[in-house]
Amino acid sequence: MTDSRQFCGRTRREFLWQAGGGFVATALAGLLDDAFFARQAVAADGITPFRNPLAPKPGHFPGKARSVIFLFMYGGPSQVDTFDYKPKLVELDGKTIPIKTFGRAGHRNEGRVVGPRFRFRQFGQCGKYVSEIFPHLGQCVDDIAFIHSMYAESPIHGSALLMMNCGRILSGHPSLGSWVTYGLGSENENLPGFVVMLDKTGGPISGPKNWSSGYMPAAYQGVILRADGTPIHDLEPPPGLTRDAQRRLLDRLRQKNEEHLTQRSFNSELAARIACYELAFKMQQHAPEAVDFSQETTKTLSLYGIDHPRTADFGRKCLLARRLVERGVRFIQIYSGGAHNDDNWDAHTDIVANHGKHAGNTDKPIAGLLQDLKQRGLLDSTLVVWGGEFGRQPTAEYAQGSGRDHNSYGFTVWLAGGGIKGGISYGATDELGNAAVEKRTHVKQLHATILHQLGLDPNRLTFFYGGLDQKLVGVEGAEPIREILA
Amino acid sequence: MNPTATRMQNDCANLRLPKVAKACVLLAAVCFDHADFGVADESSKPGETAPPVRFSAEDLDFYARQVEPLLKEHCLKCHGGGEKIRGGLRLTNRDAILKGGDLGPAVDLDKPADSLLLKAVNYRDGLEMPPTGKLPAEKIAVLTRWVERGLPMPSDSKSVADHDQPGPSPADRSYWAYQPIRRPKVPEVRNAGWVRNPVDAFILARLEAAGLEPAPEADRVTLIRRLFFDLLGLPPTPEEVDAFVRDPVPDAYERLVDELLARPQHGEKWARHWLDLVRFAETNGYERDGPKPNAWRFRDYVIRSFNADKPFDRFIREQLAGDELAHRWEQEGRDETDIAEAVIATGYYRLGLWDDEPVDLEMARFDGLDDIVATTCQVFLGMTMNCARCHDHKIDPLPQTDYYRFLAFFRDVPHFSLTRDVTSKFNQTDITPRARRVLYEAELNRRTQRIEELTRQLTEIEDEAIRKMPAEDQRAAEGVDRPQVVKKVPMFLAEPRRQEYERLLKDREALRKLPMPPREMALSINNCLVPPPPTHVLIRGNPHAKGPAVEPGYPAVLGFADPVLPTISPGARTAGRRLVLADWIASPDNPLTARVLVNRLWQHHFRRGIVASSNDFGKYGTKPTHPELLDWLADEFCRPADPSDAWRIKRIHRLLVTSSTYRMASRTRPELLQRDPDNELFSRFPMRRLTAEEIRDAMLAVSSKLNLRQFGPSIYPPIPREVLAGQSRPGEGWGTSSPEEASRRSVYVYVKRSLLLPILNQHDLADTDNSCPVRYTTTVPTQSLGMLNGAFTNEQAAHLADRLRREAPNDLAAQVRRALRLTTGREPNGREIADDLALIADLRDRHGISEAEALKWFCLMQLNANEFVYLD
Repeated sequence: MTDSRQFCGRTRREFLWQAGGGFVATALAGLLDDAFFARQAVAADGITPFRNPLAPKPGHFPGKARSVIFLFMYGGPSQVDTFDYKPKLVELDGKTIPIKTFGRAGHRNEGRVVGPRFRFRQFGQCGKYVSEIFPHLGQCVDDIAFIHSMYAESPIHGSALLMMNCGRILSGHPSLGSWVTYGLGSENENLPGFVVMLDKTGGPISGPKNWSSGYMPAAYQGVILRADGTPIHDLEPPPGLTRDAQRRLLDRLRQKNEEHLTQRSFNSELAARIACYELAFKMQQHAPEAVDFSQETTKTLSLYGIDHPRTADFGRKCLLARRLVERGVRFIQIYSGGAHNDDNWDAHTDIVANHGKHAGNTDKPIAGLLQDLKQRGLLDSTLVVWGGEFGRQPTAEYAQGSGRDHNSYGFTVWLAGGGIKGGISYGATDELGNAAVEKRTHVKQLHATILHQLGLDPNRLTFFYGGLDQKLVGVEGAEPIREILA
Repeated sequence: MNPTATRMQNDCANLRLPKVAKACVLLAAVCFDHADFGVADESSKPGETAPPVRFSAEDLDFYARQVEPLLKEHCLKCHGGGEKIRGGLRLTNRDAILKGGDLGPAVDLDKPADSLLLKAVNYRDGLEMPPTGKLPAEKIAVLTRWVERGLPMPSDSKSVADHDQPGPSPADRSYWAYQPIRRPKVPEVRNAGWVRNPVDAFILARLEAAGLEPAPEADRVTLIRRLFFDLLGLPPTPEEVDAFVRDPVPDAYERLVDELLARPQHGEKWARHWLDLVRFAETNGYERDGPKPNAWRFRDYVIRSFNADKPFDRFIREQLAGDELAHRWEQEGRDETDIAEAVIATGYYRLGLWDDEPVDLEMARFDGLDDIVATTCQVFLGMTMNCARCHDHKIDPLPQTDYYRFLAFFRDVPHFSLTRDVTSKFNQTDITPRARRVLYEAELNRRTQRIEELTRQLTEIEDEAIRKMPAEDQRAAEGVDRPQVVKKVPMFLAEPRRQEYERLLKDREALRKLPMPPREMALSINNCLVPPPPTHVLIRGNPHAKGPAVEPGYPAVLGFADPVLPTISPGARTAGRRLVLADWIASPDNPLTARVLVNRLWQHHFRRGIVASSNDFGKYGTKPTHPELLDWLADEFCRPADPSDAWRIKRIHRLLVTSSTYRMASRTRPELLQRDPDNELFSRFPMRRLTAEEIRDAMLAVSSKLNLRQFGPSIYPPIPREVLAGQSRPGEGWGTSSPEEASRRSVYVYVKRSLLLPILNQHDLADTDNSCPVRYTTTVPTQSLGMLNGAFTNEQAAHLADRLRREAPNDLAAQVRRALRLTTGREPNGREIADDLALIADLRDRHGISEAEALKWFCLMQLNANEFVYLD
């Protein structure tokens, strides 16, 4: 303890660098082995050439999954109207019962039960009960592990979104996608490693904070990608500048920068900046190719529902997600729902209209994605996650109607692929579906599971900041949900 | 369910409680010991273990058969003897259980039902164990019986080691950063001719000891560019470069430094560094990310303070206790500008995150106080006190009590707002100058009287009409429904009475809508909590688990006497504690304040602090590379020969930038690079990339569009629609500014936590959620895309091309030359110009682009050049 060089196994050099002591943003620490550090330390001196902070790097152990597709059902889907079948609610429908709930409307001790507004039926070999709003997803249940015992720390959108995305209800922490790209880099340098696709109605509450890199370098923040038009902001050369003309311009820039560099070869940042212009140029070519669906068959387009106006939008995003996975993009997040109120899953007034709409827009595309990944042999290495920032209450929010308030006491998420067991349900809420009671699963355990499947030890993936080895799963750590691992 | 409890776990809870087990836990354990054995032995010392107890064979059998397997299955993974002990609680032996963990004794033998252990397994009072799900009723029954039987357990296991709570050890106290600042002797050096001031002697002594020579002096073009960016954050014009290069006066350099330090742009550059530290933002974050009204005044205050070379000790006092100073100064009849400035300075407390819809209001209040403690300790003292919120600091000698004693100084600071309204009586203060406040009050008075008069006349007519109405209306008019009845009044009036009524009504309405003379409000603290609520140590940082009460106090390891707090007189507006704290911080006797500040000045001139971790002077931070230099500078800063120079920042700037050390070239020979690869010895000047603000401001400067207008509400340069699309309400909270306004310096760009200007965001703007002592320098392809294809750079390229045509009409070569001079400062060589001309010709001849367009693309390229974005 007296030798601070040895504290937590870090040398002073490592610290210097993590403190952001003015060096290039190759500030990677914690998970990296000594050899990597030795190399990086030289880079920090400015002698060795640039290493892209997003260059692929090995995890702590070989992971089953290479990529993650996080389907974020923003607004909070109701568990009892989707995958958490609660027949008891049917008989109690309309009755006012004592029940402890906590949502936007505060703490309540009783409420009027709103029975499930959709019929459930059994699907697959596992006989999973699924709501009728997911006829296509129902066909996939044998590939899915449902976690019914999720709980989170806030039933308020802003902080709950931060919790699901960044692991804390407080602002300022890096998002899951940032942690993953920090830990593993990305396999395709011509595309961003962490991309986010938003709903056409707008972003979620708090917007970019949900894909922020927090206290990590900006290199790890999510990049917004669009499935139509220009996929990435600022990707297209300005009007009037053809690709060839731009190449000519970049050749002169490179020449100029290399002359500047000859006198300053000790500064690796300069070389890094030269390299980045070349990467950007390549990205301009490759990113549009990724969103070009002209080589996809009609059958594929139809599988994702792209041939139907209602499902076309989300379908395109799901198909793009598959194409990005094929191209080695590490972390893809797609939002279902945006903006406010019924533009997302936030069904405060009418559960039927709201969930009918959002499930109808996404059911076929998501099922298509799972099937397509499977038939292409990609599902084993792609972890698909479905869920929102919380669930909804089994009781009504208002005196009239079927709207439900937020509920972080219990909700459902599901995972598929990437080494997750299919056809199983893990944990349970009480008989009303209100609160997780069996095998209660905190959001950080979900995060731990995702990291673990990627080959990252959630308790060893750290970033030194603010006097502390920060972790996505908090200092206390979290274990993956081993029972759902194949 | 207890979100609070879970949240604390998820934060940095140290559940092992190192040597903590604070007095509170111990006291609880002692109380229990007394209760258990009925031995009210006053001499009992905290931490003494209970004498052994004998249990019957039957009891022990019950334990072995029923309890032990249950504990093993459900509890001991986290509360056993292994690596992870959660909540400081071990269930492996009886003493440990009776002593308990962070929350106190796990079992109360007097009142078994009140035992925390039983509450936890029953999921009562916010405790939930095991967290994976409630145990079946029969298992809970076993545990209940076990507790009721007096907790029978074999006594073979050893008692847990005592948690002792000594004060700071001599070793702790002897840590370098806690020693008083003493001026070291300026070292002797061989090459005395190189030494321009003592800074150089300290640097050179180390270089000579290592057998290294300092890098040669940089050329004048490099030096003026370096000085401009370091002191103003802007590039010099070619004319300014030429004037300096040709200046024959021997002290041309020193005179340039003085001139730059006196320019109004200096404060804008250095304010930005301070704003990074104090997490300056103009919105509150979270769902609505609503505005912090009048936050811009704080930014202007910081700019004015740096420009005026306000002594740093006063700058500290104003930010931490400006409201208290203001009260004092009001009584002393001091200048009202000073008073307003002091009030604005307390905006310091209001810059952090504020959740208008917190899950747990009490937790939110303490999150707010934590933000203040964390920021204050890191920024002024280089201490990571925030690590001691839930437990003792893991490596620095800061016990948890120190955290709460420090927090107690701020206990009269009210929460930002208690409703969802972003404006509250706690966060706004009227600072309207007296002359205008008089006008305002007179106008208010006049208007109130006039409205009253009009209302009297109106009521008279209304009553007249009501008397003509049906009986039920007359009755209704007597009660709360009168406004409804009044609506019908005109129907019961004859001309011209009706016209008169409507005229009066219109007059009153107009008067009500007429804007009042403006008042000036400041984001600040106001309506403080007097007397302040008591402060308790919060067990594991949980505001619902109060430990012993504490009084305000300084970190014990620094060895200061406890503060003498003023008694709160009737009618006092504050508790008066913050000024006591500010005086302690703003003192040359404080070992940290001056060291921390001069280190920051060094950091921004030399890219890395003498202590690289400039917010952390603790053991987790980095050691100073030049401790004597740091102390010499600190002493020179707070105890200069002439007391009127004390705490003057510009003096230190001058000292640093006029040194030979600062004037070194950044280029070096390979062998020197090998000998001092990290430049730890400062054998050369470190190159740096321009900051985000400098990049944007420099582009505006060379394109001739930079608007140097100072101060006032923030500006909103346009943000592309694709970026706004990330918001849940695209465009919300982002206003519009005219092109001229939008071209002002970056320090005036609105700081919205959830929406950042792309050109700034791409170049590592500070994250505003916490204090940011050092910015990253990231280099990624998406940054290059923004620089090449983004709207802002392309617009500036077009403006630059226009400027070139203006300043060197009809001469392409002269235009290129001018562009190179504007962007690099230096005189370009002929080959460079020829190559750039070749580019323009190629674009024109081979790519069918007009010459005017081609010049624009050339300008775009030049704005992307490393030489433009990097400083030698």
